[in-house]
Formats: sequence, C-alpha cells, structure tokens
Amino acid sequence: MLEMLDYPFMQRALIAGLIIAVLASLSGSFIVLRRYSLLSETLAHVSLVGVAIGLLFGIAPLWMAIAASLVASWLIEYLRSVHGLYSDSVLAIFLSGSLALAIVIVSMAGSFNASLFSYLFGSILSVSNEDLWVMGGFGALGMGLLLAFFKELYFIAFDEEVARASGIRVALLNFMLVSVIAVIIAISIRVVGTLLIGALMVIPPVAAIRFGMGFYPTTLLSVVIALISVVAGLSLSYLFSLPSGAAIVLCLLVFFVVALVINRR
Amino acid sequence: MSLKFSPPLFDVERLSFERQGNLVLNNASFTILPGEYCAIIGPNGGGKTTLIRLLLGLEKPTSGMIRLFGSEQKRFKAWSRIGYVPQRSALIDSSFPATVREVVGMGRYAQRGIFGFESSEDKDAIEEAMELMGVRDLSERLIGNLSGGQRQRVMISRALASNPEVLIVDEPNTGVDVESQHRFYELLRHLNRTKKVSILFITHDIGVIAEDISRVLFVNQTLLVSQNPAEMIRCDEMSRLYGTPAHVVCHNH
Repeated sequence: MLEMLDYPFMQRALIAGLIIAVLASLSGSFIVLRRYSLLSETLAHVSLVGVAIGLLFGIAPLWMAIAASLVASWLIEYLRSVHGLYSDSVLAIFLSGSLALAIVIVSMAGSFNASLFSYLFGSILSVSNEDLWVMGGFGALGMGLLLAFFKELYFIAFDEEVARASGIRVALLNFMLVSVIAVIIAISIRVVGTLLIGALMVIPPVAAIRFGMGFYPTTLLSVVIALISVVAGLSLSYLFSLPSGAAIVLCLLVFFVVALVINRR
Repeated sequence: MSLKFSPPLFDVERLSFERQGNLVLNNASFTILPGEYCAIIGPNGGGKTTLIRLLLGLEKPTSGMIRLFGSEQKRFKAWSRIGYVPQRSALIDSSFPATVREVVGMGRYAQRGIFGFESSEDKDAIEEAMELMGVRDLSERLIGNLSGGQRQRVMISRALASNPEVLIVDEPNTGVDVESQHRFYELLRHLNRTKKVSILFITHDIGVIAEDISRVLFVNQTLLVSQNPAEMIRCDEMSRLYGTPAHVVCHNH
C-alpha cells in the first residue's frame, strides 16, 4: 500500500490532508463547544459560491473560495454579535442562500460541472503544487493564530461573559476565530470537498469529548482522530478509486461510533 | 506616620441605563471603598445584575460615569483586580470537557498574554485558590460531574486565582443546597476579614449576612444606600422598599 506514496499527486494529497486534519479538528473543537457546528457547513457552502465564480470567470477557484468564505464569516459574526440575531437562524440563511447562489451560477454555465464535482466531494488528483503552497501558507498563519490565542478561545467557549469581564477581547477574538475557520474551510475543499469538510471539523471533537477528559487532552485526541481518518481515508480513496472526502468522512464516522460504544452513559 | 491613599474600588456618579427605551437604572451614585463587604438587594428585574454588568463593562451606560480603582472605566486595563462570579455559575453543561484545574486556571489567562505559558506564579495562584475553596482534591474531576455547591466553589476559585482585590458575586446560591450556602457565606466572611478581599454581593438572603456586611445597596431602578444593614432588614423597611408586604424570617443558615 505504501507504493501509493510513489505518486507525486498522492504525496501532495497526503501533505494537504494532514495540514487540513490538524487545522480542522483544532478549530472545530471551539465551534462544537460553542454549539456553532453549523458554521463549518455554512462556510463550506459559501466557499462553493467562490469556486463557482472562479470557474465561471477563469479566476483561481481556491482564491475565490477563500475570499467568499472570509466575507461571509465576517457578515455572520457581525449579524450575530452586533445585531443580536440567533446564530442558527443566521447560519441557516447563509447556508441556503449560498447554495441557491451556487446553483444559479452553475446553471448559467453548465460546462464546468465535472470540475465542480471534485470541489463538492474532494479529489486526491486535484491538489496542485500551488494549492499546497497556499494551504501551507494559510495553514501556518491559521495554526499560529489558534495556538497564540488557544487559552483565550477556550475561556470564551466555556464562559464568554466572564472572559469579557476578565479583560479578554472577546469580540475581536470571535472575529479572528471565524476568519481562521473560513480560511481553513476554503483551503480544505480540494481534498475533502465543500459538502464534507464540516464533518472533519465536527466529528473528531464530538468523538473525543465522549471520552470525558479535560480540554487539552480532548483536543489532542481530536487531532489524532482527524489525522488517522485522513490517512485512512486517502488510502481507501487510492485503493478503491473513491472520492477522498467521502472516504475520510466514513473513517471519521467509524471513530464516532467506536467512541459512542466505548463511552455509553 | 505616613498615610497611604487608596482610591475607591468603584466610584459611580449619576449612572443611568436604558434597555430598548425602558429605564433600568436611574441616576445611581455610590462609592465602594477597599475592604468593604456590601450587599446589593432589590426585587427581581430591579436592576441589580445590570448594575454589576455596568461596573464590569459588560454593558455601556446611557449616561453617567464609572471609575474603577481611580481610573475612568474606558481607560481601565487591570481587570484581573476584579473577580467575578456570575449568577448562573453553578449551571454548566455536564458534558463540557473541562477539569476543575483547567477552569480555575482560566482565572489567570488574562494575565498570561499571547502564547503565555503557565508560570510558577500562575501555578501557585491556582493551587492557592483551589486550596482556599477546598476543591484541590477535585482538581482532575470534570466540572460537569460536580454537585451545584462544588461547582460554585470552583467558580469562586477561578475568580480568586487572579488574586483580585474585589470579588463581585451575583446571586451565587441558585441551585445550591443549604449546607453549601452556609459554607459559602463562611468563605466570603473569611475572604473579607482574613484576605482583605472586598466583596460586592447580590443576594435575596440578606438576613444571613447582616452581621458581616458594612453597607446595603438597595436597587429598584433607583439606588438607595444604607449604612445600617440591621435597620434595613426590618419588616416595615423591607415592605416599603419592595413595595409589597414583607416578613423577615430569621434562620440559622
């Protein structure tokens, strides 16, 4: 099975997958604990709009996905925090709205349906060297920000009001977190696909939480689950010619079921 | 002999707050001095929690001025000098992945800065706060698995971990058994008398702490400050303030 690593496309997919696994599971811990899991799904759909625009106008889809996802994340956080709209309502509006927009754009130019399919479900063949550099650059930036403010984000997830009262800049960090998540989602779509990246953010922390540990070990376990799932999923994708995103998510689900069975309460 | 001047912990002048056009607090003025143990009482919806939130900068006043430790609130940065235990502190999601040690450690986060790792000073402060509140033995337990009284003590430990000069506690006995409440009042007394921590305490159970407190702030849209708590808890005075017949019941807890 190791011969799959002889192929440059597989090497690129694996590097990209490992970067995404760490970033998605790390940032996912915060959104799961804040009952904000649908954010990943929503921003993934918004990224699809960016991809569709990119394909329509011949602009790099990855950059367009990053731009669309970032703008949407700021709007969502603004509407939630400043206008006081319910989080789930705002997310539902953006989720369905962006999907509608993506469908309209796709129907306007039906010629790129095959390309779009790989963005929907992920494809290990589609990761280019340029994509890898973009993922590496943004990944390092996102990772740096998450680690720099890790404890503050944890405090906010646990008790936003007391975090604010203790002098932590909650509003700024909330914007930072959604921005990092927006970028992580956008750069992940090559490997996992827009429709499945939400699972990589949500399932590892949810499975890890079942083991009833403190936050730091839970986060570490979440990252380990994501890493193993990505490696296993990409291997299955290579061996059985499956869409990589779907294979990764099925591996994640195995972990989730095992965590449920082991830790029945 | 040298005299050291300590500014008031809180100096509030003509503070008013409106929410969606409704007046919640009207023209409140008061000061809280170092070492004081003040109770805030008043009917539900009278503005007690709003007053606390205004002091902590969680709400913006419609008008008026707040000084914290002698500094204007908008210029005040040393929030670790104030410990805060909110009303719903005992109500925690039972599946939240947080150990007691991690929760108490949060009290030091604002002082640690970006990338800041836990220093030996942080560790000592956390250990001391847990020891003081009797939760050290629970340090590796998940917060969600504790009883209401234990959670309450953990939340106070968190507030104390930053070594605050004043502790603000908002109706902390919601969902807590009577024995834990009794222990809690003793701890507050100990903190105030031995550790010299000033206390600002929202409660409905003023009779229990009447002997400990130096002043009572009665909040019901307007603010009334009494220097004589014993006088204030008389039935006729309570009836007048709450606007409804009140009976003061004395009990041991």
